[in-house]
Amino acid sequence: MGTQIKDVVMKADAPSTLLLDKHADYIAAYGSKKDDYEYTLSEYLRMSGIYWGLTVMDLMGQLSRMSKDEIIEFIKSCQHDCGGISASIGHDPHLLYTLSAVQILSLYDSLSVIDTDKVVEYVKSLQQEDGSFAGDKWGEIDTRFSFCAAATLALLGKLDAINIDKAVEFVLSCMNFDGGFGCRPGSESHAGQIYCCTGFLSITNQLHHVNADLLGWWLCERQLPSGGLNGRPEKLPDVCYSWWVLASLKIIKRIHWIDKNKLRSFILACQDEETGGFADRPGDMVDPFHTLFGIAGLSLLGDEHIKPVNPVFCMPEEVLQRMNVHPEILN
Amino acid sequence: MAELEEEVGVLVQRVVKDINSAFKKNPNIDEIGLIPCPEARYNRSPIVLVENKLGVESWCIKFLLPYVHNKLLLFRQRKQWFDRDALIDITCTLLLLNPDFTTAWNVRKELIQFGALSPEKDLYLGKLALTKFPKSPETWIHRRWVLKRLLQEHCPHSSLAKDQNRDVTTAQSAKYQEILHDELKVCTDAAGRYPSNYNAWSHRIWVLQNMAEEDSKIIYDELCSSKYWVSMHISDHSGFHYRQFLFKSLIRRSNFILDKTVSAPSLPTDHCASLPKEESSSEIQTWSLQGLFDEELDLCNDLIESYPGHEALWCHRRLVFFLWHHWSSDHHSCGTPGKTSLNGTDGSLGLSHTTTMVNKASQVMDVDCLIDPSLQSYSQETKRLKRGPQPDSHKLLAEHRFVSKILSDCGNMDQVRFATSYKKWLDSVIGQL
Ligand SMILES: [Zn+2]
Repeated sequence: MGTQIKDVVMKADAPSTLLLDKHADYIAAYGSKKDDYEYTLSEYLRMSGIYWGLTVMDLMGQLSRMSKDEIIEFIKSCQHDCGGISASIGHDPHLLYTLSAVQILSLYDSLSVIDTDKVVEYVKSLQQEDGSFAGDKWGEIDTRFSFCAAATLALLGKLDAINIDKAVEFVLSCMNFDGGFGCRPGSESHAGQIYCCTGFLSITNQLHHVNADLLGWWLCERQLPSGGLNGRPEKLPDVCYSWWVLASLKIIKRIHWIDKNKLRSFILACQDEETGGFADRPGDMVDPFHTLFGIAGLSLLGDEHIKPVNPVFCMPEEVLQRMNVHPEILN
Repeated sequence: MAELEEEVGVLVQRVVKDINSAFKKNPNIDEIGLIPCPEARYNRSPIVLVENKLGVESWCIKFLLPYVHNKLLLFRQRKQWFDRDALIDITCTLLLLNPDFTTAWNVRKELIQFGALSPEKDLYLGKLALTKFPKSPETWIHRRWVLKRLLQEHCPHSSLAKDQNRDVTTAQSAKYQEILHDELKVCTDAAGRYPSNYNAWSHRIWVLQNMAEEDSKIIYDELCSSKYWVSMHISDHSGFHYRQFLFKSLIRRSNFILDKTVSAPSLPTDHCASLPKEESSSEIQTWSLQGLFDEELDLCNDLIESYPGHEALWCHRRLVFFLWHHWSSDHHSCGTPGKTSLNGTDGSLGLSHTTTMVNKASQVMDVDCLIDPSLQSYSQETKRLKRGPQPDSHKLLAEHRFVSKILSDCGNMDQVRFATSYKKWLDSVIGQL
């Protein structure tokens, strides 16, 4: 009887060594093809795109290859009167891109180039009565935004600007019976949302609310025979979900529950040997998003050629040490 | 160079016009798509309308998208002015090509606020965008914003418009039903177009929470119609999670009623979604949650045996059994249904209940639960049995019997893996509660 499992087949000739130089070249060249149609299509998330590119370069020790001054000017021009930051010039401000901008400026140790007091005001203004956060002034609620709010404020050293108790209460109301979390109360558990919620609870020092064994169980079951991890039952393995699951396991101290060697082989197989960069799955098209999460995943798995990554902020550990930001990891 | 730009400008304006006149010509367009066509054919428009399908020839996209994209950004930076109709046309074209362009949806929100655009129009645009991009998060987000606005207009009794007048006219109520019905249909379509469509299913949950909280009939109808859907989509965990959500709503509801039964519309086992509405809502029967749980576990049995090796089915079984276990021990142990969980009619449909149950579970789990997948030999079976008979031990034994049966006569490697894991889960999670 044939298998029903949705998974990929690992080919014998798939890349099995880390091609760091290729990845650095790929990222360095990515921003230069600015009139590309694809580039227009993804402009609505440009700020996050820059964060992905810069973070992966920093993890590989290549941050100096990126044009710092240009990027800082760009970020300055994306801050709006309300304090919030948009994905690109002419776009509307949003918590997602506010966090990305603050992360980039943290990498560059340049937070003072924007009005950080106004950023804090912006984040604060988005908290709702029930403790949840809207992503922007239009009011969409999602646990992702709770994470964005807490992470932004933690990097600015202003976590006390919001009502933490209420914020925690809301995130916990999105916990499910399987130990996981969804986007809103009642929604299905999802590895990306779990990452946001455990990250949020780590930043706010509330990880004791997590049922680590139950959640760890669910997260471990994301590993497929190929070694890759998926984000929900019966979905295909994916490098980005591998990161979210792995980082969550690291935060709740259950990373040893998965087969690390198999995961490492899966991530390495997602490299493109010619162009550099990582794809979601072996053989697919590469992009900066999966390249960051591929490298960050390998870092969490202990690769010594990559700087240690912080599982909560997905930034080099050394940057957070410098900023004196120490998110909780379960004991 | 400038000449070429001008040419592109003329072409694009024509295409934008063609798209919008297609909508005027046929207000029933129900799907959009890309027609693979690498070469331009200058003698005809790249916009093709066949029956109710609107197609765009692929060659024009690389001109069209950057052009409308840049126009909108110039407007947003106050560098170029457009009248309202032009803005509506530009954002419409843009969003059909790139529905995750948040700012374009925001421009339309402002147009709605000014009264320049009807909210219904945007539900329609979103619905079309979802035919091509069924996951598009920004499209779903925009729908929720539009729906909140519409509800305030049409349905003063919804939770989103609490403070308004409670006199609901029949017309308003009919409009409300129509919006709700259409919205559920949009969710079903999107769920069918992309497997385990998280955004579609979490939107559906939002719709029930915000638009149907006071209507048990809708919950039953949903339970009924989704039964057929999940049976046809056995790998779709999101569909099964939706049923778990419905069960949680029913548990919360049942806790209001002391005798554990509740008056409700009849619940035929098959094809109930096709029953005429009047008939099913007027026919009140006594209904029991226990019966629904039994049916659901039967459904799990059927599907697991018919389709071996599907993780979604085993996950569903876990959660259904977990819910049942909690519900039944609440009832048997405290006599007063809902004692543990109810703190009022907060309108959040099971939210407070869910939280309480989770908290309760975590407290117990924290004490002595060890679920280390590496400790294969650690059995809690003996521990469980030592605790003496429990009201639901009969059902738990039935679960163990089911697993043994699967393990003894199944050659499917994955099925064996899932069954073994379920057994371990019963021992360590249920056995500990
Ligand atoms: Zn991915």
